[in-house]
Amino acid sequence: MKSRFFILSLVLIILPLVAVGQPAAEDLVSGCVLSAGENTTYLKDFRIQLPKMAPNGAAPVYKANMYLMKNMKYRFSVCNAPESNGELKVTIYDQGKELISSFNSSSGKKFDTVDFICNKTGLYTIWYEFIDGEQGSGVGVVCMIK
Amino acid sequence: MKGTITKIAVVILLLVASSCRNSGTRQGGLNFPVADSVPSGEAEKLSDEALADIVQNIASPVEIAAILQSMQVPFSAGYLAPTNEADRLTTNFQKAVMLGIYGADLGYLNMYEKTGNSIDVLSTIKRLADGLRVGQYFDFETLKRLSLSKSNLDSLLFLSVNSYNHIDNFLRENNRGSISALMIAGVWVEGQYLATQVAMGHNDEILRDRIGEQKIILGDLLMLLRPYRTSSQEYQSLYDMMESISSKYADVRVSYRLGEPETLEEDGRLVMVQHEESIVEMSDGQLAAIAEMSKEVRNKLISGL
Repeated sequence: MKSRFFILSLVLIILPLVAVGQPAAEDLVSGCVLSAGENTTYLKDFRIQLPKMAPNGAAPVYKANMYLMKNMKYRFSVCNAPESNGELKVTIYDQGKELISSFNSSSGKKFDTVDFICNKTGLYTIWYEFIDGEQGSGVGVVCMIK
Repeated sequence: MKGTITKIAVVILLLVASSCRNSGTRQGGLNFPVADSVPSGEAEKLSDEALADIVQNIASPVEIAAILQSMQVPFSAGYLAPTNEADRLTTNFQKAVMLGIYGADLGYLNMYEKTGNSIDVLSTIKRLADGLRVGQYFDFETLKRLSLSKSNLDSLLFLSVNSYNHIDNFLRENNRGSISALMIAGVWVEGQYLATQVAMGHNDEILRDRIGEQKIILGDLLMLLRPYRTSSQEYQSLYDMMESISSKYADVRVSYRLGEPETLEEDGRLVMVQHEESIVEMSDGQLAAIAEMSKEVRNKLISGL
């Protein structure tokens, strides 16, 4: 009887999480691709879910490595999930050197998209994190600009 | 009674866990494990982090096509891999490589808005994806509808590239990295074939640079395939073929010129112009040798090795 209850509880808990979670993520990606604007072609999306920064810890970061090509223009867009506490930001690094970020911590200015006009083919590291290390979820979309 | 409830619960859990929505269409079906050519325990495993380092955007099905289009190179159906023999592909190895090759062809067709011609490629991709038990990530009906209507090219491009991203993610997350690596290799080989074939007839600096820069990417692609090469003759042959392309790049030089980036704001967007530059030095002879070897490898792959 106990195991019957356990299994049914598991089903009821997991079912809505899986059934609702995937469409929501897909919708968020589609919306974020649209927000990248016209004259763009979707290349990649990253689904980000990060916990709140631990006290005295570093802000959690989602890192992805991506080849970017010379003579191409890329648009990096970030979109927050409706239930997200934090605001997603994207930063592009080239061999450990920060190139551009959608959030300027000095001025507090935020951008939903950043364009990167690439002149050097190579492997770049894309960092996604939530401002001030807040808990959050969202998506990052990379498009090429036609 | 207890057993029945347990079974029902397990079936529901499996159905839910294996379901996947792709832009409005839910295609059911359980995902049974597939006996891929490489048992997970046999391959020298790459760490997740190392794999992530290698595979993101290593070969995009649309970027080469975008360059060709910007060069105003006319579309040529002659570059496409034939689809008439796809049904005779029997191994997962062949299916995965061809899934990548047809993916690049689909990108080429879509970028040139030859969407009416793409139905045949779409059907073939669907069959191969089903054969690899990843068909649930390929929303054939919607793609077909968008292709026939020619009404929304952006949606078509998004959905087709997104399907490939989903398949790639699913394979890597489900311990089928060997199949993902083959698919990526297929996309790369076909993109390389398209680029080099066009470059032989059109002297374009951007395209030449793109081909030359593949020296960097090919090195990582070889690293991606290396752990699987001893697992079967098919993998070993593919690895050897990729190495033969790599050998043609031996004297191609890629250097870098330093420069400080420039940041500006345009229409409320932050824009960064990179002034550091990669420079490719590649002779006509080197390009011809790379093109010839790329063609040979691609033709071997589409003929089933």
